[in-house]
Amino acid sequence: MSAGAAPASAFLHFEEKVRKMSGPTDIRGKIFKGKAPKSPWKWSKEGFLYSKLDNNKVICGICPNRCLLEPGDRSVCRSKVNIKGTLYTLAYGNPCAIHVDPVEKKPLYHFKPRSSVFSIATTGCNLRCLNCQNWEISQTMPEKVRYNELFPSDVVKRARETNSESIAYTYSEATTYFEYMIDTARLASDQGINNLWISNGFINNRPLVELCSVLDGANINLKSFSDTIYRKLNGGRLKPVLNTLKTLHEHDIHFEITTLVVPGYIDDPEMTKKMCSWILNNLGPDYPLHFSRFSPRYKLERLPPTPVSTLDSFRDIAMTEGIRYVYLGNVPGHKGNNTYCHNCGKMLIHRLGYNIPEYYLKGNRCKFCKTKIPGVWKA
Amino acid sequence: MKKISDRTVIHVITATGIASVATQLVTIRELLAQFQGNEFVIALILFNWLILGGAGTLLSRIFTGHSRLATPEKLAWISFTLLCLSVFQVMAIRELRDVFFAQGASVGFYPTLVYCFCTIAPYSLVIGFVLPYSLFVIRNIIPSCPGARVYIADNIGDIAGGALFSFLLVHLTTPFQSLLLAGLPLLITACLLFPSETRCRPKPVLGAGLTLAVLLSGVLLEYRTLAPLQGKLAFYRESCYGRIEVHQDREQFTLFLEGKPVYSNNNPALAEETIHYTMAQTEQTRHILLISAHSGIMKELEKYSPDKIDYLEIDPDVTSALFRFGLLKKINGLHIINQDGRAWLMNSKNVYDAIIVSLPEPETFQLNRFFTDRFFKLAKQRLSPGGVLGFSVKGFENYLPEPQRQKISSLFNTAAESFRHIIMLPGGNIFFLCSDTLITADIPARLNEKKIQTNYISSFYYGNVTTERIASLNELVDRDQPINQDLSPSLIRLMFSQWFLKFSSSPAGFAAILVVIFLIYLLRITKEEFVLFSTGCMNMGAEILVIFAFQIFFGYIYLQIGLIITIFLAGLLPGAWLGETFIQKKRGTLVITDIMLIIVTGFFIAAVYSFGDRLPVFFYLFTGFLFSIACGCQFPVALHLSGDSDNAAVRMFSADLVGAAFGTIAASLVLIPFVGIIWTAVILLCLKIISLLVIILGYGK
Repeated sequence: MSAGAAPASAFLHFEEKVRKMSGPTDIRGKIFKGKAPKSPWKWSKEGFLYSKLDNNKVICGICPNRCLLEPGDRSVCRSKVNIKGTLYTLAYGNPCAIHVDPVEKKPLYHFKPRSSVFSIATTGCNLRCLNCQNWEISQTMPEKVRYNELFPSDVVKRARETNSESIAYTYSEATTYFEYMIDTARLASDQGINNLWISNGFINNRPLVELCSVLDGANINLKSFSDTIYRKLNGGRLKPVLNTLKTLHEHDIHFEITTLVVPGYIDDPEMTKKMCSWILNNLGPDYPLHFSRFSPRYKLERLPPTPVSTLDSFRDIAMTEGIRYVYLGNVPGHKGNNTYCHNCGKMLIHRLGYNIPEYYLKGNRCKFCKTKIPGVWKA
Repeated sequence: MKKISDRTVIHVITATGIASVATQLVTIRELLAQFQGNEFVIALILFNWLILGGAGTLLSRIFTGHSRLATPEKLAWISFTLLCLSVFQVMAIRELRDVFFAQGASVGFYPTLVYCFCTIAPYSLVIGFVLPYSLFVIRNIIPSCPGARVYIADNIGDIAGGALFSFLLVHLTTPFQSLLLAGLPLLITACLLFPSETRCRPKPVLGAGLTLAVLLSGVLLEYRTLAPLQGKLAFYRESCYGRIEVHQDREQFTLFLEGKPVYSNNNPALAEETIHYTMAQTEQTRHILLISAHSGIMKELEKYSPDKIDYLEIDPDVTSALFRFGLLKKINGLHIINQDGRAWLMNSKNVYDAIIVSLPEPETFQLNRFFTDRFFKLAKQRLSPGGVLGFSVKGFENYLPEPQRQKISSLFNTAAESFRHIIMLPGGNIFFLCSDTLITADIPARLNEKKIQTNYISSFYYGNVTTERIASLNELVDRDQPINQDLSPSLIRLMFSQWFLKFSSSPAGFAAILVVIFLIYLLRITKEEFVLFSTGCMNMGAEILVIFAFQIFFGYIYLQIGLIITIFLAGLLPGAWLGETFIQKKRGTLVITDIMLIIVTGFFIAAVYSFGDRLPVFFYLFTGFLFSIACGCQFPVALHLSGDSDNAAVRMFSADLVGAAFGTIAASLVLIPFVGIIWTAVILLCLKIISLLVIILGYGK
């Protein structure tokens, strides 16, 4: 080595280290001090599952943030407020986004394919993902958006009118409007409409168990398998999400898992291997796993999209580990959009976007080898 | 010991000017590549630069009364430090971004402001300090040396640095190479500040050697400091329009412009939407105009077998990279034209069946000009009967936030001035389809009729672009939203609001603090300082005005920003010389130059208002030159009026810089976005009228 090479190499090593210590290590949201309205409004309801403390303080018990609110404070998710010692939700009956979507868009590939889903959201989220695709509603307060008045009975009525087989609590984070969701879900369940929970899974066990009693399906966004990345990219934590997956499994709810593969953060094959191994050991091989392609959005707009071959390799890893149904999202026309029987390997559902030109399931069984395919299928 | 001559110090001052302007321009480009590449960031950089320079100048006041302490040797060491800091500054900007901010994340207003401030602070403070310090050094050699001599020498250096960068370095070199080449004259002249008998002693040799090593290390680490964390840097070019990088990650190539990923392969959705939404509408598909392009669109366009495709892309380096890395495909009938899209529409006689615009968001004045009433009129003139114009802006997933609603409303209303039928299609991008004939939203059905096969549209359109989503988007248009015009860019204002909304912040706090600081400053300064404050404010305000007007009408600021800054500097020199010549008629000269500034501003307003984009480039450069002559003339006169002592010189330099900082921030962040070009010019004119009144009333007859 020449005399100059050692300092140069030391500099390059130092430089690489410096560049990898990227950004803040925890972007968890904070309580909004003094940001509660003076009194509840028409779309308020007293919060479920909260505790009253001394000096009119309250603790919200819905999600692991466990916001401790003094009178006048607003929760991390921006939907809960402490007004004179009572916890209120400000997101009850005032959805700001209402659409009818194909169920595949959630994504739910093993839940009544080709069915329509009446989808609603109010504002709010308990995480702070830098790449949020619905930041316009997840990172704002209920009072700051245009909203519709749609109380639970109206939601069920509209779902019927639009021939939707299910209602999805989606787009922002449904956990933050838990009271609205569960009241609507109970009514819907009574009338034979399915309830779908599209969530980051950052919820406490007690409300989740309550929710499970009316839930038919869920898609949980497992954002990564690293607590460090959860804190850095999403402002959350990994363990509560894993607990959610276990609880859903214990309650025999059909759910699918989605992981967005963000370049530079969530594209480590070793981490994926560990994640798949955890899923296999704790949940079994039958829950569909979706790897979605990232494209620049919200604050994370200086990263390139995920290379398709990275997704391919993740699919291979997951299938090699033993997960039976692994899909690729945001890659139109890829074979990873189709469903193949885990027993005979034949294609059961050919998906072209939201179209299904070929469908080889009879009830819940493979038409070819009669193997039972996990999911909720139409008779 | 042989004494150092004043001429040597003057040479150092000139060389400092050369190096500092090149460093300033390299820094602006570097920060634009690291943050939002918009004019607001340019304004923040210039503001920080000027404020810190002013602070550096004030720091030199500690030497007033002790100016014997200022020696040529110390000036040499300061010069070495400056050269090293220029390299460290650019490295810090590149390297620390990923330390302070999450990798790949864009950054809001305040973090940008603080980051700019901190990274450029050491260099800017020293550069602000060095000019008055040089004056003290000269006055130790020739006590009667006028301050204006230093000012003029600095100006000569600034002009030379600006010209060197704009005409040579920006075309031929990378940032660190520019710093090395522009820094060499300072390195050499600084060595001459050591007396000849000590020049070859270890300390000066080591100092100069280390400085050269630092300058060279920048050049050697150029690629390394740009390497992405993911994949590798497959291509890098500093074009005169900005930074182009292609990153390769596995099989994927992504082209970054100014640090943002713009084109990437394997993105069929956007390519299909961009081409087929527009092409599905028109019966004739023979002649097509593409203003910029998304990757993969040629493959989609080929399905219509057009006779001729004119593809406009201003930067030839971008087109060559796109074709080289397979992001675009060469197809039959394709004509690549490296020209500004708007200039082409104005000058071409071609008629097109479809015009497809694939530009990023209108978040800069350069881009905004493709979304104004004037652009839509020009586009319509070039469309055949039944022809269609298609363009898009960033969309939304499930909820349209208020600033974005206003933005698309403004765009809709602006396009509606020229086209009878407009449809907006929702999605990740909102597509606007404009024509004088009826337009359909049922794209898959039209494509079926035309027997065009697609992958994404045929599979996803009916699920993503539902009739309910189309209807609710079109219902949200606010017909009262003002239209977007070249001179009153309402979209820029809305983009600004959207930027703040995204980062949950507001500029109000910053504005309030600035106003308080400036008010306190204004209450503490003398009449002469106020005149120079207003002159600095006018000069930078006018410079920003010319940059923005130039950007609006010609749209290629990166190429010309150096030229504009050089012209503004070039006028200061003859101005200062004139000021020195007429120094005896102090008050009269100030009055005449203020009147001249008022007249030139009035002339600028009348010309821009009446002729807009029909004015030649020369007009902007000439008015810029006139502005700076008048401003340059006032400095020596005001300095003379205030006594030309060391202390007065420092105060005058500071007043000029603080005024310039205020002019920069007020014009670019507040006035132009909110009241437009014309009214900003009117406000600057009013400021000069106040200054004129201060001179007339303050000094009596």
